[in-house]
Amino acid sequence: MNKRHIVRLIKAVNRIEDWLLISMLAVMVILAVTQIVYRNFSGGGVAWIDPLLRMLVLWVALSGAVIASRTDNHIRIDFFAKYLSGKYYFYIKRVVHAYCVIICAVIAWYSTNFVQMDYEYETEAFAGVPAWITELIIPVAFGLMAFRYFLLFLSPPRSDKR
Amino acid sequence: MTVSIILAVLVVLGVPLFIIIATSALLGFSKIDVDLSVIAIEIYRIADTPVLLAIPLFTLAGYVLGESKASERLVRLTDALLGWFPGGLAVVSLFACAFFTALTGASGATIIALGAILYPAMKQAGYAENFNLGLITSSGSLGLLFPPSIALILYGVIAQQMDIGENVAIDDLFLAGLFPGLFMLLLLTAWSMYKSSGMHIVRSEFRWPKLGAALLESIWEIPMPFVLIGGIYSGYFAISEAAAVAVLYVLVVEVVILREVPLKKLPDIMRDSMVLVGGVLIILAVSLASTNYLIDTEVPVRLFEFVKSKIDSQLTFLMLLNIFLLLLGMILDVFSALVIMVPLILPMAVGYDIHPIHLGIIFLANMQIGYFTPPVGMNLFIASYRFHKPVTELYTSTIPFMFILMAAVLVITYWPELTMYLVEHKGG
Repeated sequence: MNKRHIVRLIKAVNRIEDWLLISMLAVMVILAVTQIVYRNFSGGGVAWIDPLLRMLVLWVALSGAVIASRTDNHIRIDFFAKYLSGKYYFYIKRVVHAYCVIICAVIAWYSTNFVQMDYEYETEAFAGVPAWITELIIPVAFGLMAFRYFLLFLSPPRSDKR
Repeated sequence: MTVSIILAVLVVLGVPLFIIIATSALLGFSKIDVDLSVIAIEIYRIADTPVLLAIPLFTLAGYVLGESKASERLVRLTDALLGWFPGGLAVVSLFACAFFTALTGASGATIIALGAILYPAMKQAGYAENFNLGLITSSGSLGLLFPPSIALILYGVIAQQMDIGENVAIDDLFLAGLFPGLFMLLLLTAWSMYKSSGMHIVRSEFRWPKLGAALLESIWEIPMPFVLIGGIYSGYFAISEAAAVAVLYVLVVEVVILREVPLKKLPDIMRDSMVLVGGVLIILAVSLASTNYLIDTEVPVRLFEFVKSKIDSQLTFLMLLNIFLLLLGMILDVFSALVIMVPLILPMAVGYDIHPIHLGIIFLANMQIGYFTPPVGMNLFIASYRFHKPVTELYTSTIPFMFILMAAVLVITYWPELTMYLVEHKGG
């Protein structure tokens, strides 16, 4: 696999992440509106919509966070980093990104345990949906963020322009 | 102690906040021998908090609105209503910005969307450059206390997680923010009228046909605030339902009826809005874990006892709180500041007999100033970028506005009735 293939692969991953996020948000809007219609015209809402909506908030939020890591667009205090410039800045960025890889990987690892536990106990989240499926986004999202920060570690952006 | 040093180094290096908070949670839990998969359990609590649904929905509605030409219509309508007033366009800017910020969430969109119209218009009407820049930069955060402010929702969510005995309902927070927000708006209006009386400015005159035309072109947007706010206060909608209605309404109006936002652009708008939401909620998610650790180890209680041993009057506590929050607002954005500080400050404030709702308004009023205080106020940089001005020029131009809003914060802090009046006297 040469460099061109890798670039193409990353672009494909970007597109998949984007479209998953957009579709989940679309489903969220449609379900939220549907629920209001049901509540007002047939007296009660649909039981599984509310828990599904709550799950979607988690999924959408974590997917948004994954996409934010793509360009290292997370909220930070850049008060001090602003005054570091040139080559130091470049090295510091590498250290920072390496550190992000470690923390994201640690969280991904421990949340895998959490998912596995609920898988073994066959916990149910709602309407017959097993809890481990709804929790799956946590290790996946943190794993993807670790991957993104690893890419940024390999080639940090030259300047701080977003 | 060593943990604090590690965290401080991470902050200085510019590590993303969610990584720093996660670090503190991981270190904390491993110190008291709790299995670290607890962090996933805490993150999963995001899916157990129904009202959070309002945040992605309101943010999306705001982003779509920001992409449409609603901002231009809003300026024309405000001008037709208030342009004849002493202070003219300056007053128009204040009201239009406050309104737009409330509807779109305070994310810098106001300066981009409204500044592009108001800044050249005010220049042409003869306002001094310095005043013009200062006014628009400081108005960019003016709607933070008005519904459906995402910051207020977030404060409510965090306060509800804390279990402090008193209920912090989000619709009460919305009510509480109205008078303090209007008060800030009125002070700035008075200042603008005073300042512009010395300038030779062109005022527009009030004409019914002009108002009629402005009303007619905004006919689709005008009902929206009434539907939302009426729906929430009458108890007809829950907050998250109001957010769903807002999204549906904005999409139908701007995409289908007016067609100002092309369908083709919608996926990008959806993605960009959720990158913002993801950035905020992931900080909330990891700090649920770190806060839980703090509570387990009774840090807030000990912190309160320590502070109580040094300060015994509520007045002094509030004074120090204001200074602290102002400094905090200088280096942190409102969302991160809420998530990190409310769990520590709220129990203390309750200990000093400050109502949680009042605290929320004090908190946000201070943070609102932080948006344009040097050195890192976000709106300073957005304005500098937008108007091609050096940031240092914006530092000086916003100073008078900063002092006025600080005075407003003092009044809001020491006169709790201003905040609590509507909450305590609501009907039903």
